[in-house]
Amino acid sequence: MADYKAASLATRPKTLDPAEYFNLSPEYRRAEEKRAALRAQLKRQYLQQLNNPHRKELIEDPALTRWTYARTNNNYFRPTAKTSLIGGLFGVLPLFVLYVVFKSDRDKRDAKIKAGTYERPYKLST
Amino acid sequence: MRAVECQRGKMAAFRAGLLTRALTKGKTPGISNIILGTRAASGPSKDTLPGPYPTTPEEMAAAAKKYNMTPEDYRPHPDDGMGYGDYPMLPERSQQDRDPWYQWDHPDLRRNWGEPMHWDFDMYIRNRVDTSPSPVDWRTMRNQLLGFMGFMLLMFGLGEMFPCYQPVAPKQYPYGNLYLERGGDPEKEPEAVKHYEI
Repeated sequence: MADYKAASLATRPKTLDPAEYFNLSPEYRRAEEKRAALRAQLKRQYLQQLNNPHRKELIEDPALTRWTYARTNNNYFRPTAKTSLIGGLFGVLPLFVLYVVFKSDRDKRDAKIKAGTYERPYKLST
Repeated sequence: MRAVECQRGKMAAFRAGLLTRALTKGKTPGISNIILGTRAASGPSKDTLPGPYPTTPEEMAAAAKKYNMTPEDYRPHPDDGMGYGDYPMLPERSQQDRDPWYQWDHPDLRRNWGEPMHWDFDMYIRNRVDTSPSPVDWRTMRNQLLGFMGFMLLMFGLGEMFPCYQPVAPKQYPYGNLYLERGGDPEKEPEAVKHYEI
């Protein structure tokens, strides 16, 4: 670790962080060991499936299934003040605002054309 | 092959559901309840899928176990109706920020099998948003960018309002303002055209 030079555009990996190795409290060590045990169990499950010579199908990842399910099925959406505000601000307001903007711009241009004062900006013919 | 089997399983379950409901003496539910209520047994079971926001400590512990996290690490998103349920709130770090030298199970995604995925995982892949440290901090970068863009916009705007160029005059044509070329009568004498005064 002594000759590891920190790269300015990368975060220091956890395994090269001296805070991981010195002055550790027992609670921190226990927590880290629990996490390491979970990681090792998952790794073992994955490698057993990966190196199984009789396996023919894809290795299914339940974390991926859960993520897909959570993102696509919005079962737990509730209309509250915050969600209603966001919905109104991004879904309803733009409709009215854009209508007003486009209509007024179009009306101004129509009035100018009727009065004969409209100068066409990109006219190609003389 | 698997899709066909899935479909057959779903159809079998649907028919079984209809049959049991027809046979039981309970109140016959509407057709939409029957269609939505039956589900094939080939997919994940309900307890491995995300659920509602956990309220009791037991629910929290069960959710942590479900997501392969330690109970101290597991924190659900705040329950403000945005639709997260019990999905865990993970630190906002991109996949590019992870150790490139560790032997990940999926090296291109820098992720291990079974690891809980961030809610915005598809945003944090290595082709997209990156939270790695930058040469200068974000504030400096933002100020420099906005300063430069603002200055250029200001100068171009001023240039439009107060144009500044070499003096110009209308184009001067010879031969009496091109009298003959413009179809003037060759017999008649054209009037003298004066372009400048010395």
